[in-house]
Amino acid sequence: MKKLIALALAVVMVLSLGACSVQKAETPAPTQAAAPAATEAAAPAAPEAAPVEISLWTYPIGNWGKQEVVDQLLAKFNAAYPNIKVTVEYLTYTDGDDKVNTAIEGNAAPDIVMEGPERLVANWGAKGKMVDLADLWTDEAKADIYASVEAACNNGSGAYYEYPLCMTAHCMAINKTVFEETGAWQYVDAETHTWTTENFLKAVQTLYDAGYKTVGAVFCSAQGGDQGTRALYNNMYGGTFTNAEHTEYTMNSPENVKALETLYAQDGINFDASINGGEEADLFAQGVLQMAFCWNAATHAARTEVIGDSFEVFPMAFPSPNGTDVKLCGGIWGFGIFDNGDSAKVDAAKTFIKWVCDENTLESVSTSGFWSVRQSVADPYADDALKSVYGTFMQYMGDYYNVTPGWTEARAAAWNMLQQIGTGTPVQEAADAFVATANAAAGK
Amino acid sequence: MSKSNRLDTNQAKSKAYYIFSFVVVFILAFLFAFPLYWIITGSFKTKQEIMSTTPVWFPSVFTGANFEKLMSSRSAPLFDLKLFGYVITGPTVPAALRWLVNTVFMSVTSMLLTCLTAAMAGYVLAKKRFWGRGIIFSLIVCAMALPKQVILIPLLREMSALKMYDTIWAVIFPIVGWPFGVFLLKQFAEGIPTEMVEACRIDGASEWRTFTDVMFPMIKPGVGACAIFTFINSWNDYFMQLIMLTSSKNLTISLGIATMQAENSTDFGLLMAGSALASVPIIIVFLIFQKYFTKGITMGAVKG
Amino acid sequence: MANKKISVNPKSRRLMVHETVTAYLFLLPFLIFFVGFVLYPMIMCIITSFFDATMGREDIFIGFGNYKELFADPVFWKALWNTLIIVLVSVPVTCIFSLWVASAISKMPVAATSAFRCIFYLPVVTGSVAVTMVWKWMFNNYYGIFNYIGQATGMIDQPINWLGDPKYALGCIILILLTTSVGQPIVLYVSALDNVDKSLVEAAEGDGATQMQAFWKIKWPQIMPTTLYILVITTINSFQCFALIQLLTSGGPNNSTMTIMYYIYYNAFKLYRYGYGNAMGVILAIVIAILSAVQFKAGQEK
Repeated sequence: MKKLIALALAVVMVLSLGACSVQKAETPAPTQAAAPAATEAAAPAAPEAAPVEISLWTYPIGNWGKQEVVDQLLAKFNAAYPNIKVTVEYLTYTDGDDKVNTAIEGNAAPDIVMEGPERLVANWGAKGKMVDLADLWTDEAKADIYASVEAACNNGSGAYYEYPLCMTAHCMAINKTVFEETGAWQYVDAETHTWTTENFLKAVQTLYDAGYKTVGAVFCSAQGGDQGTRALYNNMYGGTFTNAEHTEYTMNSPENVKALETLYAQDGINFDASINGGEEADLFAQGVLQMAFCWNAATHAARTEVIGDSFEVFPMAFPSPNGTDVKLCGGIWGFGIFDNGDSAKVDAAKTFIKWVCDENTLESVSTSGFWSVRQSVADPYADDALKSVYGTFMQYMGDYYNVTPGWTEARAAAWNMLQQIGTGTPVQEAADAFVATANAAAGK
Repeated sequence: MSKSNRLDTNQAKSKAYYIFSFVVVFILAFLFAFPLYWIITGSFKTKQEIMSTTPVWFPSVFTGANFEKLMSSRSAPLFDLKLFGYVITGPTVPAALRWLVNTVFMSVTSMLLTCLTAAMAGYVLAKKRFWGRGIIFSLIVCAMALPKQVILIPLLREMSALKMYDTIWAVIFPIVGWPFGVFLLKQFAEGIPTEMVEACRIDGASEWRTFTDVMFPMIKPGVGACAIFTFINSWNDYFMQLIMLTSSKNLTISLGIATMQAENSTDFGLLMAGSALASVPIIIVFLIFQKYFTKGITMGAVKG
Repeated sequence: MANKKISVNPKSRRLMVHETVTAYLFLLPFLIFFVGFVLYPMIMCIITSFFDATMGREDIFIGFGNYKELFADPVFWKALWNTLIIVLVSVPVTCIFSLWVASAISKMPVAATSAFRCIFYLPVVTGSVAVTMVWKWMFNNYYGIFNYIGQATGMIDQPINWLGDPKYALGCIILILLTTSVGQPIVLYVSALDNVDKSLVEAAEGDGATQMQAFWKIKWPQIMPTTLYILVITTINSFQCFALIQLLTSGGPNNSTMTIMYYIYYNAFKLYRYGYGNAMGVILAIVIAILSAVQFKAGQEK
């Protein structure tokens, strides 16, 4: 025992000595900025141009989640604005919200956060944590940015809590190889990448009869990718999730109930409470499921390695009564500024956002792997055939209802509702209970 | 210590039972060892093999891609110290190394602080009669099983008021305050004959000397056990780390790996490489200390 | 107990003061951490439980409003029930299982004992996140190993959605919890059984006692302190089971794996209902305090 403690102590001491020597070696040479990993004196050196340090937290929006790519963007930004130092933290969708929330409670919220209006506007903005970005929304910007995007970034009473960069339309995907083998391909409008609800159900049945017992899964273990399931049951018979004014949840309408009842009764479609959207997309990529409801260009890109050449992915719009009146859920991503009470930092943050979105637009957008929110910006992937297909889905972009009050609670209640339906609760009953909970949250 | 002569009651039944239990234990051992086996082999598999729907029991080719990715996709300074207004920053290294350093620092510091404070507190709770002893001990017993989720929000607000939010101390201090170590060492100290302590006092030794020279050596096995528990618990204390740490350079290894994911897709290879890396130090600690660990606990438990 | 020596004479009173001062000096380092980072937050938790507290506005005092709502919340009762099931199932099962394994492996040659002891300890040290991921893969509905083996051996004819079916999900959680918590008890029991007075066992067996009798009459009383200790740490462990729920089921399906710990977290961080979450924390703390007190009293009487 004694020997061991002595050993442990010795190790600790050697380690700390090692650390010491590094200090001594480096402290006397702080002026030689040549060494890249040299020391950095944050001591009272006379500030010349008042450098500002701001923090940016990004969710993994395409390559905005990759340090090596973001570092390059920052280097370019610093060439133009050397006095603004941006430190980046990378969040995930699994626990990113928890981190931001705890940071807000811990008075350590970042200066800039990159995500969509459902978080920036409907959640943190509504709670008074964000800075109004109305001055970034110049008339030029308002004219150029799609009106639906502008509406989403606005809290409804004049304050803009988000300045958007990019957008996409969430779609679904099918296994073309299997569809062709089983003859279900006839139900697909390959030209427009759309299909009617009737054909969709026929296709599922065809696959099921051909021996594919798990064609698709209404995933509902948690909220990840839940826009996919919502888009599926909303589009099948033309229902909506909320009313057009975004004041009330209308999920228990006859159209939605019929859609969920149809899905529940359909062979080959199972309600799976053990997977979320990302896992469903994985199962599709592995060839276990024949269609994925949680899909977009980035979801596809992340799985090309796994898919390999085992089958051909065919992106599709969600099924709707006549095929073309589909309304896809959009994803909008941009920047918001947390109100940390330091105007210098807010100004620096605005400078950064302006640079990213307005000056360096094309590169910033293509880093995300999505499309610009500005009409004037061309498709960054014009020469990429597959990417262009995803680009065409933008024309079906529907209402951005994620900013309805009470969204966070409603979102959680929505996957609970699917779990209930999956375990046999009558659809109408579960949907009514959901709408009651969601509207109560919206009224608060 | 002869283990074989227990069988000499020569009942066939007992022999059959012995074989049966050996087989069952053997099967169970597979189940227990499997996750680690899967993690270690998984960290060398290609993405396609990891995601394969038919189990790939052994990687067909060993790839270093997962470890490469682990080491290349994030970077951070190895350490940074604040001394007299200067910030001394270490060389930039793969962030996984920094996270490993953080995790070791966190576990070792919690371990040392806990053992020291708990040994002192356990000693007086066992050997002194003083006002308020009953109340303190009841509080300790009641708070022992308290899940951290209960005090989550107040703790968070407190840490931010103390400017400790997003520092490793915000994770360490609540671990040190967790009263299990005190309870454990009090049980140990109670097993030490009071006469020994009193003899020492009569010889004129100070209270502190009595503690360091008599008590501490006697409860050392208990301290060893306390050390291992605290080390492993803080190593695995995912929840507190998740809540309290945000900056990339302050993360622990398990937390850090979790941040290296793409949207809607978990990189299992990366996760396994990180976990393999993270579990090596702790397995070494267990192997080194296991002898002391087992000896310590039994002594205390038998006497307590 | 503390009052035994008081009220004798001034001299012993002075001694008592001296003892008290010394004792508190020794307790001080621990008390700073305990009061600062456990007790104080707990008191704040009790206070906040009487407020409607959320992000972005001042707290509003609502008296027992949170508690009233709590007692009418079916999910809360479900969560409390699940929490108790997890504890009441996993604690005895862990103890019995680890005692059985320990007694089986302690009869083996020393090297085998040592090897098995390490193997059973592995899940404890492998890091919960990664182990949980592996278990998730094993339970997978579509290609998980349990369904694979079950179907190959004909034990089940349809794949079972282990984590997605309310009938099985809680059981799966308890099973995983078991594998991550029997490591310490096994290690402890092995050494406790090793320390049992061999001569007594041999004498009893010489007198014609069966192994069972020898175990219950001689070994069991001697390993009793270890058992009590294991009961305490296993109870603590079961209450701490949070990462499993968060990583595997998020409390679903249909709240069948919802525990109080996860529901507190859910209310605090998904719905921003801090006061409500804290009220739940207070109830859980009371339940735990009662359980610990009972356990401790039972332990002292033995």
